[in-house]
Amino acid sequence: MSERLPQDPGAQQAASAAEAALPEHAETAPAPAAPSVPAPAAPEGFTTDSADTWHRVHPVSPLVRGWIAVAAVIFIFGRNSLDSLFSGGWQDGEAVTGGTPVLFILIVVGSAVVIFGVAFFLSWRFTRYQVTDENVHINSGIIFRQQRRARIDRVQAIDVIQPLLARAFGLAELKFDVADGGKSAIKLSFLKLAEAKRLRAAILARAAGVTMDPDQPMNVQEAPETQLLALPPRRIIGAAFFSSTTVVAVVFIAGAVVAVTRTGEFAIFLGFFPLFIGVFASYWKTITNDLNFRVASSPDGVRLHYGLLETRSQTIPPGRVQAVSISQGPVWRPFGWYRVQVNVAGYGDDSSGSSRSVVLPVGTEAEVMAVLGLVFPDPGVERPFDVFAAGLRGVGADEGFVHSPRAARWVDPISWRHNAFRATATALLCRRGRFFRSLQVVPHERTQSLGLRQGPLMARLGLVNFELHSTVGPIRPGVHHLSTANGLELFDEQSARAATARRIQRSEKWLQAKQTLPEEPHHGD
Amino acid sequence: MGAGRKNLPKSHSSLIDPVGVNFLPVSKKLITARFISAGIGAFIFLAITMVPLILHLIGVWAGYPAWLAWAAPAVVVVIVGWEMLLIPRQVRAIGYAERDEDLLIRGGILFHRVMVVPYGRMQYVDVTMGPIERMLGLSTIHLHTASPGTNALLNGLPAAEAARLREQLTARGEAKLAGL
Repeated sequence: MSERLPQDPGAQQAASAAEAALPEHAETAPAPAAPSVPAPAAPEGFTTDSADTWHRVHPVSPLVRGWIAVAAVIFIFGRNSLDSLFSGGWQDGEAVTGGTPVLFILIVVGSAVVIFGVAFFLSWRFTRYQVTDENVHINSGIIFRQQRRARIDRVQAIDVIQPLLARAFGLAELKFDVADGGKSAIKLSFLKLAEAKRLRAAILARAAGVTMDPDQPMNVQEAPETQLLALPPRRIIGAAFFSSTTVVAVVFIAGAVVAVTRTGEFAIFLGFFPLFIGVFASYWKTITNDLNFRVASSPDGVRLHYGLLETRSQTIPPGRVQAVSISQGPVWRPFGWYRVQVNVAGYGDDSSGSSRSVVLPVGTEAEVMAVLGLVFPDPGVERPFDVFAAGLRGVGADEGFVHSPRAARWVDPISWRHNAFRATATALLCRRGRFFRSLQVVPHERTQSLGLRQGPLMARLGLVNFELHSTVGPIRPGVHHLSTANGLELFDEQSARAATARRIQRSEKWLQAKQTLPEEPHHGD
Repeated sequence: MGAGRKNLPKSHSSLIDPVGVNFLPVSKKLITARFISAGIGAFIFLAITMVPLILHLIGVWAGYPAWLAWAAPAVVVVIVGWEMLLIPRQVRAIGYAERDEDLLIRGGILFHRVMVVPYGRMQYVDVTMGPIERMLGLSTIHLHTASPGTNALLNGLPAAEAARLREQLTARGEAKLAGL
């Protein structure tokens, strides 16, 4: 290690254990760094780090990260040794193990503790980070060293995640996303919760364009949050049960019942058992993930808080939302529930099973409009509620939507009047589907590229598919089966609109773009 | 499907081309390049399907049905012939146009495709050259935006033109760069 560390490398385990109780950044924060004041608005001195100041994550981090491995080893080995202990039974007050001497068990357990301990200590020891004015750096790895640097002004989203065990320790993981399709550039796991929040505030302040004086610690406060809505638990649970999973499960149960009554063979139910486990696992996952879902707005962007066991709080800074989709399946229709998802360049396509791109798991139309107002503040149209309602529920040419021509009924007899688009001054709205409805909203300045496609059958019917390319994410905007004339017109106009919007686009540093704000906008009101 | 020949446009401008845009064609040598690569594929498939036929003819594998022995290579020949017939028209259908703000790319004869890539959205530009392309002095240029949906691939540009286009695109991209 070439850089000088703030801590003497010689002071080993004892120091590391002691440090757990100390505020980690005492040496770099000249202002009274009141450790861990969890109140979000508490002022704390913070300077960005100079090039040779490095910090470490919290010492128990590797344990929190690797507890599953530890638990697995303890479980497997412990069970075996317990088995052998009890198979031998007790004689004259002494344990007679089934062939395995007690000493051997102790040695194995002891060496496991030492090996894990050393591995954890090294992994902690070799992970260091710093936040400079421009970059976030993280160095990690024992044998394969990795040095990573991400530019702060390229931040797309910041998450503070607390897995269950980390919550027990009061720790949190800070995740810093750049536009790399969800590979998550920087992950700091784990920091004290207050420290994670403070770093998040500092990074966002830097990304927003607030300049920091390196000699003078500045008070970076967490941007004040205004809670917009909180989803009641019964809605989350209801939405989980009234879902397509339930429809599939009901179909299978009905099939099982029919099979059992036909054959009188109850063992068939056993065959369906794994399926039921899967269904309940899916309910469990949805409910624990989405419970306590809260949406808040802050000058630093949209804040989402959610989770029962593992809690997450996501921040999407202004202008980072690439596309929005509002969707509704047939089961949710009677309840008037919708789901809102976004494309954010740092989130990727959710293929790993996480649902970070969901900004509203289940909401009423009023809640959808409220969230839309947050992620997409300027609808660019008069009477936006009517226009978006027509986009959600409308059919035909209501509110200026342009739908597929009659000829499209040959290829899409069900929803040709539902497939439609409408351009506002700021975004393109694409409506699609009759039973599985969705409305996709793409701001003009977020358009990456456009395409038109036409196959032979569509050429004969005079139809064309319009597609709009957004960043990696769950939303792939486009309009199906437009008439060729409409498609061509949309293609031309949309590329012109996107060009205009790009020219007047706000700066990536969102506070610099608004000149009217006071000097320290982070104080809020 | 029944998209008869008469429905296909005579000139190589499809129905969905934006109006008033003058598309530049790619090099005619791309026809040769595609002939060669299609020919290599055809040769391999033909060789494989010829094996039973030859074995049958020289009597080693007399039990093999004669119709099948003849049909397999025949099918390959028909498919390759069809492919070869399409290649010149496919190549002539490829076109690109540099506008003030964006690059237009079109292609396809049965399945038309038009794409517009704004200069300000380009993240990087790839220029590649395979062995056949190098022989004929051609390059392929590939434009990448932040979206995986942008499949802006332009085959068969003369190497000099590809280099010019790359410089042009990166220069314009820098001038118009608009973040994400």
